[in-house]
Amino acid sequence: MSTGVTVALLGQPNSGKSTLFNALTGLRQHVGNWPGKTVEKKEGSFVHKGKEYRVADLPGSYSLSANSDEEVITRDYIASGEADVVCILADSSQLQRSLFMLADYAGIDVPCFLLLNMSDVAAEQGKKIDAKAIGEKLGIPVIPFSATDKKSYDVFYDALEAVIKDKGLLNVDKLTQQYESIIGYREIYDLIPENVIPGYSAMWIAVKALENDKVVMAKLRAALDDNAYSQIEEAKKNAQGAVATGGCKFAWIDDVLEKAVDAGDKKISLSFLDKIYTSRIWGKPAVILTVLLGLIASFIPAIPLMIVGSLILAVKAPVMGVLTSIGCPEILTLIIGDVVIQSFSYIFKMLGFVFGVTLVFGLLEEVGVMARISYVFDNTMGKLGLQGKSVMPFLVSFGCTMGGAAGARVIDNWGQKVLTIALAWAVPCGAAWATIPMLSTIFFGPGAVLVIVAVLLTMLLHMWITAKIFGAKLVKKEDRYGMIMELPPYHKPKWGALFRYVFGRTKETFIRVTKVILLVCGVFWLLSYSPSGDNGGILYTIGVAIEPVTKIFGMPWQLFLSYVASAVGKEGAIGVISALYNGNSYSSGFMDAMNGAARAENLNELLLANVTKPEALAFIFAMTFNMPCVVALAATYQETHSAKWTSIIVTYYTAVSLILAFLAYHIGLLIW
Amino acid sequence: MIEKEGEQFMDKLLKLLSDGRARTIEMLAAELDTSASDVARKLEYLEIIGVIRRVSFQNGNCKGCTGCSGKGKKDAAPCKGCIPDEGFKNMGVMWEVV
Repeated sequence: MSTGVTVALLGQPNSGKSTLFNALTGLRQHVGNWPGKTVEKKEGSFVHKGKEYRVADLPGSYSLSANSDEEVITRDYIASGEADVVCILADSSQLQRSLFMLADYAGIDVPCFLLLNMSDVAAEQGKKIDAKAIGEKLGIPVIPFSATDKKSYDVFYDALEAVIKDKGLLNVDKLTQQYESIIGYREIYDLIPENVIPGYSAMWIAVKALENDKVVMAKLRAALDDNAYSQIEEAKKNAQGAVATGGCKFAWIDDVLEKAVDAGDKKISLSFLDKIYTSRIWGKPAVILTVLLGLIASFIPAIPLMIVGSLILAVKAPVMGVLTSIGCPEILTLIIGDVVIQSFSYIFKMLGFVFGVTLVFGLLEEVGVMARISYVFDNTMGKLGLQGKSVMPFLVSFGCTMGGAAGARVIDNWGQKVLTIALAWAVPCGAAWATIPMLSTIFFGPGAVLVIVAVLLTMLLHMWITAKIFGAKLVKKEDRYGMIMELPPYHKPKWGALFRYVFGRTKETFIRVTKVILLVCGVFWLLSYSPSGDNGGILYTIGVAIEPVTKIFGMPWQLFLSYVASAVGKEGAIGVISALYNGNSYSSGFMDAMNGAARAENLNELLLANVTKPEALAFIFAMTFNMPCVVALAATYQETHSAKWTSIIVTYYTAVSLILAFLAYHIGLLIW
Repeated sequence: MIEKEGEQFMDKLLKLLSDGRARTIEMLAAELDTSASDVARKLEYLEIIGVIRRVSFQNGNCKGCTGCSGKGKKDAAPCKGCIPDEGFKNMGVMWEVV
């Protein structure tokens, strides 16, 4: 019975094997599994000039290593002799890369021919490939092919028939020459007896042994005596393994393709922006400028919501008036006005900044600028004692410090991980972006931008100093590796996805922040409530008592308590301010309002009346550089597994924030 | 000598990757006097054999965060509250030596 000829299709993923297989076999195919494995087995048949051919579509893989079932099945199938001919497919548009499979196949002595598939794509790219020259170097038929083009099939069938007739093998002389230069190759090669693993040449086995192929090593172990096997192990020790063999394969591929491929790589020219960003001199200033511009831009979307917040505040007195006139109980009216409406006015003002910052930085990331920023700061990371990839947790910390702590999981070295998290605390998080610019605007008006810039510069200085202090204990300089980055191309932002992300974060922030502020404001309001209308309540008594101490740091007691509340969460500070800076007293504020005076509801003026600019500056700095929030504290403990370092970090940040408040206050006194 | 070239190149590449400086693929290509696609295919190979690896940024499962779909799960999807859906897509690819 004529068994026909079996053709095996071999190639990397996406080299077009399936297209070819389907074109050849049509409906005459069936899919099953390789015995005992979950790997798909596709077989089919076709008839050409009256002869029947069987085709096996082997699984696609990068090469023929022992790293996966697919690869081992593929190479064993070929070596077993089941296939009379192997048809190797390569992607013509990236021959340098896709011929690696051929290079790894070299040494398996089954007749083969090479299809330079996707030749139409290569032609579109302007590449000219001399298949004949390649064929001469390889000693096998090499044909340009396009699996979707009917006309290329004539040449395919011709080549197939030629190989079946000649049984020509791949010429591996040049490749073997390459391998000879590897330390250990010769020794191992000499120790391998002929046909020790049927179907594979000694050259192939020696190379796989060098690469520490576990299947090959196991077979050698079984087939050789102990002495020979241990000599092979010894020879391997001094070799560079797969790195060296890979180098040889690539060099061979380049030799084969030399002069046979035209219009290959144009010298990549960096886009204008990238020339700046990756330049040693201009990179950092460019990034800093980008970030500053981004910050200023983020103030713009904040303005409408600031107005909304002020409008909400403006309705406070009228609403309270209405409630009183309909006989609403006083305490309820007060709560609705002083706690609820007041707090919501703040909440909306904050949201503007959340929206603005998220939008601007989301946009920078979408376009690809963030990648450049992280690249530029790699060696700054190095100076801080960190790996370049630490920049990722820092970027996430802009959103949430807890996320930054979790993000530090990319860092394997424990000391660097702790240092990264310790530094991430200084990065203003989403809540800080919501509260600090808003408060700055209330205290300083348009000057808020300068205050934010000062805060950011202080942040950089803070991180530098913190890295020096903590780095000495946590990190050794030697653990530093280079980073390779493939910068993504710049591209137009996907506005839909971006806005969904921005709205999503703003909404989540709104929900979380509302709960916190209402709660904190309510609690503090109650503690400061005094029925007589004068400043009273428990809180006032405590506050006035501690004021001498708080004044050292430049803050009146109300701001100091807000600062303390900010340790729980930055929005908590707003809740406290909302409660304590409510008006001199209920009754006088109410009377003013009834008399139509708009002044009483305008919190800006109330705050300004009660707080001096140096005090405000001290407060802003204290609050920004305090610990981010209790959740960040918990996350830090969770990620570092060290109560000791967590408490060191907390204590350090609290102390530094008070020192900064002190300094800011005195500098403020000099200015104003 | 063509025989030595293959091995030497990979050596040089690995040395550059271990000296503590960041480089883009274009810069590596310039320093090794070759093309970016040559560097890219060799990086791919080094990654496959496990000499270098991609920095994969996993985030999620932060206790207390309400935005995460993966509370308590080990391989949680990135937390939507912290980073965009499906993580940062435009940060390029970072490799480091294992």
